[in-house]
Amino acid sequence: MRTIMHLDMNAFFASVEQRCDPGLRGKPIAVIGSAHRTVVTTASYEARKFGVKTGMNKYEAKRACPGLIFVVGDNRKYIDTSIRILNILKDFSPKVEAYSIDEAFVEITGMSSLFGEPATLASLVKERIRGELGLTCSIGIAPNKLLAKLASDMQKPDGLVEIREGDVATLLEPLPVGELFGIGPKLTAHLASLGVATCGELARFPVSILRERFGIIGERLALMGQGIDTSPVIPAGEEGEAKSVGHSTTLKRDISERGVIKRHILKLSEMVGARARRYGLKGRKVTLTLRYHDFFTFSRQKTLAIPTNDTRAIYSAASSIIDSLRLKSAIRLVGVAISDISKETGQLDLFEDGIKRERLLKAIDEINKDIGAFTITWASICDEGAQVEGSGVISPSWRPEGVKRVEVR
Amino acid sequence: MATDIGEKIKVMAVFEKGVRPVKFKWRGRVYPVKEITYTWASKEGEAPIIHFSVTDGATLFELAYNQNELEWTLNKVDA
Repeated sequence: MRTIMHLDMNAFFASVEQRCDPGLRGKPIAVIGSAHRTVVTTASYEARKFGVKTGMNKYEAKRACPGLIFVVGDNRKYIDTSIRILNILKDFSPKVEAYSIDEAFVEITGMSSLFGEPATLASLVKERIRGELGLTCSIGIAPNKLLAKLASDMQKPDGLVEIREGDVATLLEPLPVGELFGIGPKLTAHLASLGVATCGELARFPVSILRERFGIIGERLALMGQGIDTSPVIPAGEEGEAKSVGHSTTLKRDISERGVIKRHILKLSEMVGARARRYGLKGRKVTLTLRYHDFFTFSRQKTLAIPTNDTRAIYSAASSIIDSLRLKSAIRLVGVAISDISKETGQLDLFEDGIKRERLLKAIDEINKDIGAFTITWASICDEGAQVEGSGVISPSWRPEGVKRVEVR
Repeated sequence: MATDIGEKIKVMAVFEKGVRPVKFKWRGRVYPVKEITYTWASKEGEAPIIHFSVTDGATLFELAYNQNELEWTLNKVDA
């Protein structure tokens, strides 16, 4: 039987800021992406007591908690802290999966001879994190990832919950399906329309109907209802090939001017291109994602004749997508991605222009790698008033290593 | 809210089992480092940077030490 630990840092960004600034400790604080942005990315537990939640705008948050202190986040701080936490976890097991910047799964099967019972090991992890970083976390221990995540959610902050094999059926029987990791509000509503509200009901529901309604995930849903999850803990570097390379940015302010939006698209295209070139990847499809000020989000895709990681080709495709759109309101978020990924073959371009271009990009990449991102970049990104700084909200898909590692400021 | 500064400064530091700033001079005034509240690392290109959140007892400062250039910068001040 496997033993999996799920670690969830408590109010991560806010807790790091409270460590940095003793004046913020014990106070209600909310971390925001930039001074100009209004959405709360993390609230401290002191603020949560007043009802301040992630995703609230500044005004809603301030109304809920008049004494709320806003702090502009610093992703470099959080990324380094996250890496230090992962390094602590690697002292307890070689199988550590960074699930997001503040969550990790650890396979601790067979570790009892070294560290004692799973709960003892988890206590040691908590002590190390508290001692070295001054931060608290909630840990869940269970026979699989699904239940370990459920366990860590059961006691916050600073929790430690173990779900044993024998307790699973009793625990899940009355549990609302939405409490399970992977079942969001839409799926919950869909299941409710079938008369399924709890995990017990989901476990007993005919698999054939679930398969018919939900396709391939139908079977997985039936297993989830029984608390079964065979997915492995995947350590960094063993994730398999990337399916896409993308960047998105929440703009400092909502923007309507196409010229400015295009400059953001160019910057994102360069970030995508540089990262894809670094890992020797090319994509045949270019996707542009836009979010209106009311959070309505949509994506459009363009397929290219040949796979690319050239900034200019990515920008050209993304730019042609926006040219074909009639924007209904100001834009809040822009994203650019390449997908249908293939490995670079190393084959040289047949034409002189192409060879020159590859050399140019290689030279730019090397300089930027050495001195810092965007040391050499496109002139139009530097245009007066271009304002291409994003709000600096870190992506949930961030990983500490490999192609998903994004260097941020 | 913190104010961005980004000025090169002179720092007296102890280099023993890592780096520990002791005091620094900014705009003609010397500030003692009473507490290092947090440290973190980042990179500027290939240059490793160590960041220190420090306080003189009244004000919070963010110092950064570029390990390639051996230069200190005062990044932020939060009074």
